[in-house]
Amino acid sequence: MAILRQLVVGVAASRPLATRLATSRPSILAASRLLSTNSRQQAQHVDHTNHLHPGHPKSPPLQTSFPGEFKDVYAGGPSAIEKAVHLFFFTEILRGMWIVLEQFFRPPYTIMYPFEKGPLSPRFRGEHALRRYPSGEERCIACKLCEAICPAQAITIESEARLDGSRKTTRYDIDMTKCIYCGFCQEACPVDAIVETQNQEFSTETREELLYNKEKLLANGDRAEAEIAANLHADHVYR
Amino acid sequence: MVSLARTIRSFRRVGFKEWWRQLQYIGDAKSGTYVGKDQFGNRYFENLNPEEEIPGRHRWVDFAQHDFNATQVPPEWHSWISHIRKDPPTEDRVVQNLSPPWKAPYVENLTGTRGAYRPYNTTKPKVTAWQPTVAARGD
Repeated sequence: MAILRQLVVGVAASRPLATRLATSRPSILAASRLLSTNSRQQAQHVDHTNHLHPGHPKSPPLQTSFPGEFKDVYAGGPSAIEKAVHLFFFTEILRGMWIVLEQFFRPPYTIMYPFEKGPLSPRFRGEHALRRYPSGEERCIACKLCEAICPAQAITIESEARLDGSRKTTRYDIDMTKCIYCGFCQEACPVDAIVETQNQEFSTETREELLYNKEKLLANGDRAEAEIAANLHADHVYR
Repeated sequence: MVSLARTIRSFRRVGFKEWWRQLQYIGDAKSGTYVGKDQFGNRYFENLNPEEEIPGRHRWVDFAQHDFNATQVPPEWHSWISHIRKDPPTEDRVVQNLSPPWKAPYVENLTGTRGAYRPYNTTKPKVTAWQPTVAARGD
């Protein structure tokens, strides 16, 4: 570690005096970030404007002098010798390798799926489900708005009047291999019957298992009703 | 380095047996507070200390089955472990109040097994085959 620290200081010292003042702060910063003892909470915003790229100053200002008058627009920049030193001593490569070495001693950010999972939104659009009213009656009234709006034409609906006179679907098929998970069906639904749940782990081994019918969709809704209703409750203030 | 200190710290907290189980399944030594257990026996843990667990890894599940599967988490706990709900379903009043009495028992994704879903037609077929009937010949 001490050798590497000297190496970095040496790299910083190999720069000419003109840029050393500018680079002194990042070299101290690099030295303080040597060990991975600092936590990610202490990570602070670094002002990238001036001192991280001392060899590349801001573009020269527009010429305000009189036309015909010579003005060296590269006057404040690095000299040819300085550029050559950086070129021949591979300073950029060494700085890049130092960053790699720093990351090696830091804890990884890998999320260990399926034990840990990444965050999802209450509006996440996953597997479809058909919901029921709290009384247990199914919500879908076979208005076919979802079928009409579906851009992939993945929904097929057939309806009949039930014995009590209410119109219900006899067929509600969604081809999950056609579906593009745009969420238009749940936006179009006037009774919140078809929703997209937060379940994204419905992969299957065969293709035909993704051709959902009404019973499968109702079963999805019956299992996940608490989660669906809680998500709609969390989102209702924005609707 | 950091991970070694973290491993030793977690080992001292959870003990040898739990540490060995974590190494067999999660592959990392973790320690935190026990949040709850679902109906399948999966245990859920949480560690909100950002010095010990990076954000995103602070909630985890210890599956009850050896042949574990991400879909063995029931929907209420899925919304907790996916960071959709802040509180676990044992404390979340919204989830508890919105659970209907007709809630179906949860089953995991059964693809590849005999319990896998197979699509079928839910309507009466539109076309019925014509069954020829032979009239008796008059004598």
